[in-house]
Amino acid sequence: MAEERYPINIWVNEERYEKLKEAGLAEMCEEMLAGLKVIRVYANDAQKDKILKVFPTAKFDSATTKSIELLPKDVKDKMFDLIVQKKSVDILDEFLSNY
Amino acid sequence: MAEIGHGGKEIVERILEPSEAKEKIKGLKQIPIRSQIANEVIDIAYGFFCPLEGFMSKADLDSVCKNMRLASGVVWSIPILFDMSESEISDYGIKAGDSVVLTYQDNPLALFEIEEIYDYDKKAICQAVYGTTEEKHPGCARTYAYKDKFIGGKITLVNRPKINPPFEPYFIPPLEMRKKFKEKGWVRVVAHQTRNVPHTGHEWLMKGAWLQTYGELSIEKPLVGVLVNAIIGEKRKGDYIDEAIILCQDELRKAGYFGDHNHMTSLTFWDMRYAGPKEAVFHAILRTNLGLTHHMYGRDHAGVGTYYGPYDAHRLLESIKDELNITPVYSMNWLYCPHCGEVTSEGLCNHRDEWQKFSGTVIRSIVMDGVKPPRLIFRPEVFDLVMECAEKYGFGSPFVTDEYLKNRTPVFSVPPLE
Repeated sequence: MAEERYPINIWVNEERYEKLKEAGLAEMCEEMLAGLKVIRVYANDAQKDKILKVFPTAKFDSATTKSIELLPKDVKDKMFDLIVQKKSVDILDEFLSNY
Repeated sequence: MAEIGHGGKEIVERILEPSEAKEKIKGLKQIPIRSQIANEVIDIAYGFFCPLEGFMSKADLDSVCKNMRLASGVVWSIPILFDMSESEISDYGIKAGDSVVLTYQDNPLALFEIEEIYDYDKKAICQAVYGTTEEKHPGCARTYAYKDKFIGGKITLVNRPKINPPFEPYFIPPLEMRKKFKEKGWVRVVAHQTRNVPHTGHEWLMKGAWLQTYGELSIEKPLVGVLVNAIIGEKRKGDYIDEAIILCQDELRKAGYFGDHNHMTSLTFWDMRYAGPKEAVFHAILRTNLGLTHHMYGRDHAGVGTYYGPYDAHRLLESIKDELNITPVYSMNWLYCPHCGEVTSEGLCNHRDEWQKFSGTVIRSIVMDGVKPPRLIFRPEVFDLVMECAEKYGFGSPFVTDEYLKNRTPVFSVPPLE
């Protein structure tokens, strides 16, 4: 059975979109919820558990979206910067190794 | 004409006029209380908790735990308890038969006629009410935090709380609320329980419930209203600030998504227990007393974590429906379907593979990321007001911070007794 994957939604505001365009990564955005741009980073079970432990304000929305929400903006900014640097959304192992 | 509340009992406000109050409390011992108890004192005195006239006796608590009923047999699901430690009881020198003054913010709030001082196994309360004894359940944590003795007895308010801006128009006690419904000509009113700033999923829950409630009634004139009854109580860091919740709920009416003819916003002071099905029953009782005829219940009503099944509350309500004077309206989730290009009900749309679900938590994440959600998901007037509330009341944040908890203006103040 495939391992469960839980998205972290990094909502793309104008500032983030400009950075993506500059890096030629604008197509990395998906569109959701009637026009919102988002980059989705996926966590496995172990990564989800670590995120919820390391960032106590984060919440797993178990009832509705099965996504990891309410990470502080500065944490998401760091994830976003790593995505731009790596040109990939596969950044969680490296990101979490700092915590 | 008498206004009849839950359990068939007349709603009577237990409030003394200031001159009588001053006389009654003269020379009595004064006992300071915390915010949870102050909230419940106000609820008891104004009739939100009818037929309760005070804090529960041991017989009532035992019956609530074992039978989900008061000792009189009337359905009641959440214990309403006054706690004190043995040493406090001894230091104050209080005993059954005494009357004391409960003070809040250093001023007299209520007269407490002590009828009984007793103990009760807190673990047994947790198991009965929350279905678990785990400390991580917020209702259990609140129960375990009670001191070791409970005191039962009647409450009478000696000093009306002053509701502070911007909350004043939204504190509408049961007798006043029932008058308002009559003035509006509403013959059915459906309750929307909330602790959230509304997104369009909430808006459509209300609109759907309004349609369900309208049923066979004549459409010649407006006969049905939605009452938003926001629960205002203890805040946790990261919640929306109270001011944003209440003002944004009302903004849906002011901005025309509803109107005066079908929508009203109000608040009740209550510290959520997250008791799931038992809290759903409690909400039915509370809103019956406010004069509502119908009550919305979605999935996992007032639940937390994975303690309760999504429809446990519905099943419990069904099991006692003949003893409640309020009709449950069960609501399916609303979601965004990009194929339909609209917010739609999961009971209607069949583009299942394309559904994009959203929740209050997701919207909070979007706002925290500094993004303005599209109007189909979050009304622009509501978004702008959230941001205005952040500046005006939230010390720059629409979410509860340490600074907000420390420096906010309280929702109500207890003035000196003149």
